[in-house]
Amino acid sequence: MTQEGSRGATTGRATPTEGLLAQLLNTDVDEEYLVAAARTASPAAGPSNARRMQISAAVVTFGVLLGVSVIKTERDRPQALVERTQVIAQISARQTRLDRLHNKLRFEQDRVADLQTSVAALVTSASRLGGEADMLGVASGETAVHGPGVVVTADNAGDAVPGAGGIILDTDLQALVNGLWAAGAEAIAINGHRLSTMTAIRFAGQAITVDYRSLTPPYIVAAIGDPNTLPARFLETAGGQVWLGLRANFGIRFRTRTAERLELPGRPPDSLLWAHRVTSR
Amino acid sequence: MIAVIGLLIGIAAGLFLEPTVPEALQPYLPIAVVAALDAVFGAARAHFDGIFDDRVFVISFFSNVLIAALIVYLGDQLGVGGQLSTGVVVVLGIRIFSNVAAIRRHVFHA
Repeated sequence: MTQEGSRGATTGRATPTEGLLAQLLNTDVDEEYLVAAARTASPAAGPSNARRMQISAAVVTFGVLLGVSVIKTERDRPQALVERTQVIAQISARQTRLDRLHNKLRFEQDRVADLQTSVAALVTSASRLGGEADMLGVASGETAVHGPGVVVTADNAGDAVPGAGGIILDTDLQALVNGLWAAGAEAIAINGHRLSTMTAIRFAGQAITVDYRSLTPPYIVAAIGDPNTLPARFLETAGGQVWLGLRANFGIRFRTRTAERLELPGRPPDSLLWAHRVTSR
Repeated sequence: MIAVIGLLIGIAAGLFLEPTVPEALQPYLPIAVVAALDAVFGAARAHFDGIFDDRVFVISFFSNVLIAALIVYLGDQLGVGGQLSTGVVVVLGIRIFSNVAAIRRHVFHA
């Protein structure tokens, strides 16, 4: 900008961009002033009133433009600031909410893990209790069962006369059943009546009753147990000896055979009127 | 003198009357101001050069404002309003700088 005098003089053929820049830098508004000055060789001594008015209008317009844009920018700025503040507040609110939800999620995850643990424990104990219930059902006779075992068929002597001893008594049947229990039978049924620990085998009139239902000979006693050891062990028990004696002395018919598969029915549960569980827990 | 008084009156009017600018004209206001600034500095430089011509000033002022707004309007219609605004501001800015530099030389002789 030091060579004031070089204005207008082209600085050679440069690239278009440089030429444009040079033109921009060298041609100012006052080019027109120069032209006007050249045209009216002697400028008017002073501007006329009309000219004054025009200049005033231009200058006032400029001032108004300046003032209005300053005002507008000023007015827009707080608006942008307000929006910015609102957005920041929203972000922090959402962030807080997100943190809270994260905490809740972690809490719930812990709870789920706890519940899963306790569910696993409950499942374990439920399956254990189920196994126990099955065992109890088998032992109490409430559950129908099947398995290998022996079938003892007993019948009165062919020429049995009441009082003569050829008739099977309730005590004989009791001895048979107890002998089978002692020999390791796990479930016993007489003529399809499943026995429990509370089953009564008694005489009522001329017939033996099991659970108060009369039976007619022959008496078929089915016992589930080890078919290899049950018959022999039975004969070693007191009941077995009784029956060997009955067969030898009174002609009572008594036969034992093993079976690969026996099916014993269940029985209605015994109702306990007086016995109560001891709650030790 | 008359110019300074007019400027002050105009600024005062703009600040205190707060005329509402129509929504459609708002994008052109800053460009118009820059164009007017260019005309004013050009006039100031001409004044210092001793070749100030009031008629040239008035005409160049209003035509500057109008043409600047027109260019931006055209750019808006063509979808390049932002770029054209930037271009106009750059060109006018260069002119303002060189005019101010000339004024500075006259005032400070440096």
